[in-house]
Amino acid sequence: MLLAPVAHGQDAQARRIEELEKRVQELERQLSQLLGTKKDVPPAPITQDPSPAPEAPTAESRLPVSGYMDFHFNKPRREPAQLDFHRFVLLFGHSFSDRIKFWSELEVEHAFVEGRQEKGELELEQAYLDFLIKPYFNVRGGMLLAPVGLINERHEPPSFNGVERPLVDTVILPSTWFDTGVGIFGDLGKGFVYKTYFMSPLDATGFSAEEGLREGRQKGFQSSFRNPAWTGRLEYHGLPRLALGTSFWRGSTGFRLPGVNPRVKVFEVDGRYRLGRLDLRGELAQVHISKAGELNLALQRDSGGSPNVAERMRGFYLEPAVRVLPRRWPHELALFGRYENFDTQNRMPRGYLPLKQFDRSAWVVGATYYPEPDVALKFDYTFMRNASSVVRAVNSVNFGIGWWF
Amino acid sequence: MVVLVKRVIGVGCWVLGLAFAAGPPVKVVHVTAERFSFTPSQIRVKAGTVVEFRIASEDTNHGFRIAEAGINEVIPKRGKGELKVRFTAEKPGRYAFECSKPCGAGHNMMRGVVIVE
Repeated sequence: MLLAPVAHGQDAQARRIEELEKRVQELERQLSQLLGTKKDVPPAPITQDPSPAPEAPTAESRLPVSGYMDFHFNKPRREPAQLDFHRFVLLFGHSFSDRIKFWSELEVEHAFVEGRQEKGELELEQAYLDFLIKPYFNVRGGMLLAPVGLINERHEPPSFNGVERPLVDTVILPSTWFDTGVGIFGDLGKGFVYKTYFMSPLDATGFSAEEGLREGRQKGFQSSFRNPAWTGRLEYHGLPRLALGTSFWRGSTGFRLPGVNPRVKVFEVDGRYRLGRLDLRGELAQVHISKAGELNLALQRDSGGSPNVAERMRGFYLEPAVRVLPRRWPHELALFGRYENFDTQNRMPRGYLPLKQFDRSAWVVGATYYPEPDVALKFDYTFMRNASSVVRAVNSVNFGIGWWF
Repeated sequence: MVVLVKRVIGVGCWVLGLAFAAGPPVKVVHVTAERFSFTPSQIRVKAGTVVEFRIASEDTNHGFRIAEAGINEVIPKRGKGELKVRFTAEKPGRYAFECSKPCGAGHNMMRGVVIVE
């Protein structure tokens, strides 16, 4: 076993060292108090058991319920204000053994769900089993998050700035992007981790000029799996404070369309870096849709109007944020600015003109206040712009409360 | 107060002396935990080394569990201190560690391994 009992002499010595360390910590704390520099850091626990009882390798355990919530106030200019309980999410997990684990995420969006009406949504965003085989090779199957982008798999409200998720992660990458699938994942060493899945494909009948791929998600509802899409992500965490990622998606999308089967390719890169009190993050995403002209014609035959789906969509954003309160304070305040540029009409198929109102950019400036790390009070003002001389973009002021538990 | 400072320094030196003179080598490993990774996630140590993990979170509480060592501790939230946890790596092998406290959508991805050589 890992922790074989050590010799009695060493045991005694180890215990003595531990006792002395505790005494030193206690003296340090007393000294800090005497000097008037009370540490906000509690004495850290040291677990040093020379012969801990290993857990039974097949111990079954149920994880506590956890979740996150997102409550918004949105006021677009010249439009009525809205108060929206945007997300109520519960996460459930269970370990059948150390090698078989279940994880799930159940979400109610906009608080109210009613059949056949334009109301909220009840979504099963994740529900999968992991079969852990080796650190570098594990198998996953069920309802999965597409491993694409910075936000799709990391979307707890306290983990990003701004009341709403970045627009690139909403319009170009349709987060939350989830569907049924199977795949493998693991840790390759030296800071590299990967995931690659076969997932249910997007449905081209939902593509549009304004929202790109967004309405093409099947969301696990009797998803067609005739031509599964292939997706993957590689992340690098080998250096402190730096995280880099790149992801892709490719798959056919025409399973509901006779005679035309466009392929969608998504490519994305992202990064996060922390330098002292400064946080930087950025993302670039591009979507390519083959046979977009034929797709528009096919959809026009069905609905009577062309959706003006582009051949290429592109978006990027950059966001610096700085934590401004002194480190010794128990609260945190981050000020941020984010520039986003996203165009769902970036390149059109032959014979189609781009709708300029969907060549958009946004400056999102605001603050996130953390009374504690899992609670975020957010404010931002979003300056929207577009390339149209006819359709005006709408600015908005937003407040939000998000929490994780 | 000066006496107190001297005592602290004295006791500290004694502890260090004991550790270096007679005990097994102690390797301090600093680990950062955040949604949804440990950095570093692969840690190599020599057999017989006492490993002291010092783990700080960049966001919420995480768990740190090495099932085969009977270790299962909570890592404090960002700004609330760090977890120190020790174990002795006696036999060569690979020992997986994982986050044992739900921390978000990607909780199940948060894993690592100690490689004892």
